[in-house]
Amino acid sequence: MAQSTSTSQIFGHWEAVTAVPTTTMSLDAAQLSAHWRRNSLSSDYWAAYAALHIPETVPAGWLRRDDVSYVLSYLLNELFENCAKFSAGPELAVHFQAWLLDERMVFQLTNHIKPQGERPFITLIEELLNGDPDELYFQKLEANAEQDLGGSGLGYLTLIKDYGIQFGFRFQRASGESTAVTVQAHVNLREPS
Amino acid sequence: MSVETISGEEYSVTYNDNTQSIKFDGSMRLRTSEEYAPINDLLLKAHDATPAESLLTLDFSSLKFLNSSGINIVSRFVIAARKQAHLQLKVIGNQDIYWQQKSLTNLQRLWTAVQIDIQ
Ligand SMILES: Nc1ncnc2c1ncn2[C@@H]1O[C@H](COP(=O)(O)OP(=O)(O)O)[C@@H](O)[C@H]1O
Ligand SMILES: [Mg+2]
Repeated sequence: MAQSTSTSQIFGHWEAVTAVPTTTMSLDAAQLSAHWRRNSLSSDYWAAYAALHIPETVPAGWLRRDDVSYVLSYLLNELFENCAKFSAGPELAVHFQAWLLDERMVFQLTNHIKPQGERPFITLIEELLNGDPDELYFQKLEANAEQDLGGSGLGYLTLIKDYGIQFGFRFQRASGESTAVTVQAHVNLREPS
Repeated sequence: MSVETISGEEYSVTYNDNTQSIKFDGSMRLRTSEEYAPINDLLLKAHDATPAESLLTLDFSSLKFLNSSGINIVSRFVIAARKQAHLQLKVIGNQDIYWQQKSLTNLQRLWTAVQIDIQ
């Protein structure tokens, strides 16, 4: 369900987190793209950093520290890769924010696109949020096997389907030529059932 | 008997035609399917070199990371092998590498004949 105000549009599981972020970082999409490994380096670093939030031993039903580290490396790498691949227009700043909370972690990545890029991305987001992730995942794989469309379109689907991560998306017009896109990822620290 | 390896800064993929296996190592997070093309080609080469009805093993147990573009390449290969129905496929995973527990079983859902062994 889309909510909108005059300046922003929100989709999916969006939370206006009021706490001060545990960590923030700003980068440049062109720099991420110029050296592709910067995506995995950044994600592995923050994954290891955030995983220390998990105690060395956890009760049954909670994700272990190592597992959290793997989940976050995969998640953040997918999100950084997207910022590197899809940022467009005059503004190339990328902002990373993380909140390490008691039972969950929230990560936010903001990048910028051209306003005309909003529609196709929103269409895709609605398909993602309204469909059955399992069905969409296998449909997409079969379709990709028939025809190579360049991008695989599996990033968000794998994160939702295999890791139970919930996503929110916010679009904010920054200027006539630029829209800020923020992707919010909610990671539950309990084992997905 | 021959061994063929493709390697990048953080990963390697080795095909051994004697053991009929392909072993993935390191962290493989390439940008596009074009960048994955050499790996795709090696998979297809191994497929075609494997005698009919014989077993080809994909060993992921030392692969710490694979991005979604890589998952796409491996999945496409499994679908191609299913369609050709030329060989049997076995997938080896590592219990301690979380993505493997979570995502490798998806390959069996693409082709129920795939044997999955998560050690
Ligand atoms: N941060 C982003 N900025 C702009 N567009 C994005 C962003 N993330 C995703 N998209 C759009 O959503 C699509 C799906 O993303 P994803 O699931 O990660 O698959 P892939 O990266 O393989 O295309 C992308 O192809 C792109 O069109
Ligand atoms: Mg992606």
